[in-house]
Amino acid sequence: MTRLPLYAAATAALFFSSAFAQAQEYPVDTVTLVTHSSPGGGSDVFLRELSRHLSPYLGANVIVENVSGGSGASAMARLATAPADGSIFYATTPTFIYTSLLSDPQYKYTDLEPLVNFFIDPEVIYTAANSQFQSLEDVIQYARDGRGQWGAANPASLERQALEQLKAAAGVNAAVVTHEGGGDLMINVLNGTLQIGVGEVQEIQSQLEAGELRLLATFSGERLDAFPDLPTVAESGYDVVVRKFRGLAGPKGLPDDVIAAWEKATQAVLADEQYKASYEAGNLRAEFIPHDEYATFIEQFGSETAGFLKETGIIE
Amino acid sequence: MFTRDFVGGVATIAIGAVYLYFSYQLRTSALDDSMGPGGLPRIYGWLLVALGSILIMQAALASRTTAVVTASGEEAKGEWEGQGRKVVYAFGLLAIGIAYLFILETFGYLISIALLITTTALYLGAGFSGRLIAIGIGGAVFLYAMFVAILGVRMPAGILAVLGL
Amino acid sequence: METILHAASFLLDWHILLAALAGVTWGIMGGALPGISPSITMALLLPFTYTMDPTAAIVLLASTYVGAEYGGSVPAILIRTPGTNAAAATVIDGYEMNKQGKAGLALGISLYSGFIGSMFGLIMLIALSGPLALVALNFTPMAYFALGILGLSVIATLSGENLVKGFIAAILGLMIATVGSDPVTGGTRFTFGSSELLGGIEPVMIMVGLFAMSELLMQASKRGSDERVRSRPRIQFPDFKLAKRLIPSQMIGNGIGTFEGVMPGAGGTIASFMSYNEARRWSRHPEEFGKGSPEGIAAPETANNTVAGTALVPLLSFGIPGSNSTAILLGGFLIHGIVPGPMLFQRSGEVVHGLYAGLFTATIGMVIMGILMLPVCIWLVNRPRPYLNAFILALILSGIYSIHNETFDVGLMMAAGVLGFFMRMLRFPFLPTVLGLVLGYLVESNFRRSLVLSGDDYMIFVDDRISLSLLVLAFLFIGGSIAKRLYDTFVRKPETITES
Repeated sequence: MTRLPLYAAATAALFFSSAFAQAQEYPVDTVTLVTHSSPGGGSDVFLRELSRHLSPYLGANVIVENVSGGSGASAMARLATAPADGSIFYATTPTFIYTSLLSDPQYKYTDLEPLVNFFIDPEVIYTAANSQFQSLEDVIQYARDGRGQWGAANPASLERQALEQLKAAAGVNAAVVTHEGGGDLMINVLNGTLQIGVGEVQEIQSQLEAGELRLLATFSGERLDAFPDLPTVAESGYDVVVRKFRGLAGPKGLPDDVIAAWEKATQAVLADEQYKASYEAGNLRAEFIPHDEYATFIEQFGSETAGFLKETGIIE
Repeated sequence: MFTRDFVGGVATIAIGAVYLYFSYQLRTSALDDSMGPGGLPRIYGWLLVALGSILIMQAALASRTTAVVTASGEEAKGEWEGQGRKVVYAFGLLAIGIAYLFILETFGYLISIALLITTTALYLGAGFSGRLIAIGIGGAVFLYAMFVAILGVRMPAGILAVLGL
Repeated sequence: METILHAASFLLDWHILLAALAGVTWGIMGGALPGISPSITMALLLPFTYTMDPTAAIVLLASTYVGAEYGGSVPAILIRTPGTNAAAATVIDGYEMNKQGKAGLALGISLYSGFIGSMFGLIMLIALSGPLALVALNFTPMAYFALGILGLSVIATLSGENLVKGFIAAILGLMIATVGSDPVTGGTRFTFGSSELLGGIEPVMIMVGLFAMSELLMQASKRGSDERVRSRPRIQFPDFKLAKRLIPSQMIGNGIGTFEGVMPGAGGTIASFMSYNEARRWSRHPEEFGKGSPEGIAAPETANNTVAGTALVPLLSFGIPGSNSTAILLGGFLIHGIVPGPMLFQRSGEVVHGLYAGLFTATIGMVIMGILMLPVCIWLVNRPRPYLNAFILALILSGIYSIHNETFDVGLMMAAGVLGFFMRMLRFPFLPTVLGLVLGYLVESNFRRSLVLSGDDYMIFVDDRISLSLLVLAFLFIGGSIAKRLYDTFVRKPETITES
């Protein structure tokens, strides 16, 4: 079926990188970054832009390849069987963990080695600007009084998990309606079918600027720089924090010099003025996580997600 | 007796039954709605079984009416005559297609597709001639140019990988 | 008015003109290759647009979309293979006309209707974006469910002589649509542990199997001599009398195409099947449908080209892509830092006006390229049958492989071909299967979504006004068809059923 993938609307203007960094010794000439997103999709746009800025810092050509199919299952198979020489990496989002757990493919996220993290996308709760809800508490109270109707962009996704956790924390029984992507969800929030939706800021940016949507809370750990007045969900009294990561993973057994080169290049490119202007305009939050910590982070994320999916009976 | 509709009805019920079997195996979870993943599939399965039964009844009714006019044996024979041979011929073509899938990875796209065109044309009744060879090679080069060179599809290179094709 | 004048000024910009012509040519090529969908055709160009001027880049992508939607009808008519999903309905009468040696006229009608559809879609996009966006905004899950049921009501028309067989075929399609991940929970269904099936089955694989592969198997089974009526390799546009006859069906296509285009997720395939159905209902010659009716080509081709224009409404007004193709276009916007949505017209009005001009040029370019390219295509299909069929087999095997680079998909397509072969042998219509396949996901996901919303109260479908009116319409259609069949069977003398 033609199922619309989550076309997370991504990032802003392109600037040609004029940054001239000293070319380093990187073991291979060309690095391939694989994404399961189709060309033009969220991860694809993110990667293509990153690749332009990254090349000089890494000292190698960076190209992007789309391996769609099986929501990442094909891409994971490609990576797990590739040589661990630093020539190929996979752009990871929580999707690769969900696919591994839900559909039990031959190669899973545990067959890959997390490299470094680049960004954490903030997930926010929003409502229609003309709705009666002014705060998260209003929404929770409405759900307490009757039947709340909340929306998540995709079935069995990070957003769905966040809303289920919010329900549990608030002790309310709202219906969580899943959609076929963020756009579909936004229409149903705008026309009042749903009280709230959960999504990334860049997906709803245009409607926010036009004053058609109102933000109620963010699922991030701290308040967002772009919206300093927006409370976090945890501040509102419900202990739910969501971290939608964007990083890279490679085949198992990456050599140390490759890891060191990436850690250095990642920090440098995230600090690059021009790249910074472009990703900040797209509401991406840079959050560099070095290799060692990232491996633990992914492992923890995986076991938490597995716990959630098992608890709810979706997987065994 | 065994009219097309009768056979069609039986096949329909068989497909419905197999599908129903699997739809009752689907996992349920706490995130399910009241219908669950199996809700509609079960409805589809039962509908298919019901419709298949109606088709069989229709066929039975129809053969009773025609039986009055002609001997049913003749009727059935006329309807099925030559169908077996047709299936064999059709499956010959299918076998060529499947064989192509098996040699694709080893021989690579260019050679496999040339072999496919030549073999299929031969099978469908083209005589063995220079023209056949030319069309096989020409067709393969054309498709290679379209899909690989212009559209950039990654077709298996197979043994031609050494030549950089 | 200001908009039009400003947009017209772009017609003098050779960058825009070149992008439009290049896009439409590339689009026709991609659309005409089975398996290469409009979205893949567009995606292949995406990397080149990075360095282009934003307006030219958007025009290039949008023109490709227009060309591809048209291009799908070429193999549909010539080799019974819909090049795109939305061209499936064109196969019915297009291939029949081709068999009668009227391929030139069939292609002429589809090109002419594609032109009408594209122009109409463009006018709607420019003039009625606001009101149309409002319609899309008010479509709740209940309304989408009802829209899917309305689409399914077309089964009755596509069933041929036996309604029971038609319903069986439709359910087979609905069943194929359940493979993949569950629309509500995301768990897997009927995948049998295969990772290739996780994302569901692409309708194009089944369509190419049912239409083209089964036809190849059928012809292989006959082993007969090559007695075809060959068409002259020349494009023949409809004369004045025929053009007049096509007007009602084109208006139907325009209307339904406009409506379906603005609904994110509804799409061109449903629009073309529904237009086919309505054109037949309102035609003065309904008996010709399925036997090579010119209206049977005009209606779906007008509809799917209208969709190509109006599908841009939700993209430009909300930033919501309604299909994979418009999602690629969204990518094209984002690459250049343009965010479609409510602020687009204020911030980047330039680009939007350039887009209008580009689409206009592309529509005209489509006709020119069609006249140049099509005679060659007709010449090609006039080659001796063994060579032609060998080449078609090679073409569809390559095309299906290129969707995901998986031999698994090719196997799936051939399996659908075998299914189609046996369905034809047992006289089952397979168009309802295609319809069920296309609509299955839309119907199921929105049905269940609505029940989650209402807490399992079925009254929600009646309370939603759009949903209620569409459902009433659908039941009238289905009820009417069944009543007519019963009347024909029991009241009128049963006629001898002729082989199709």
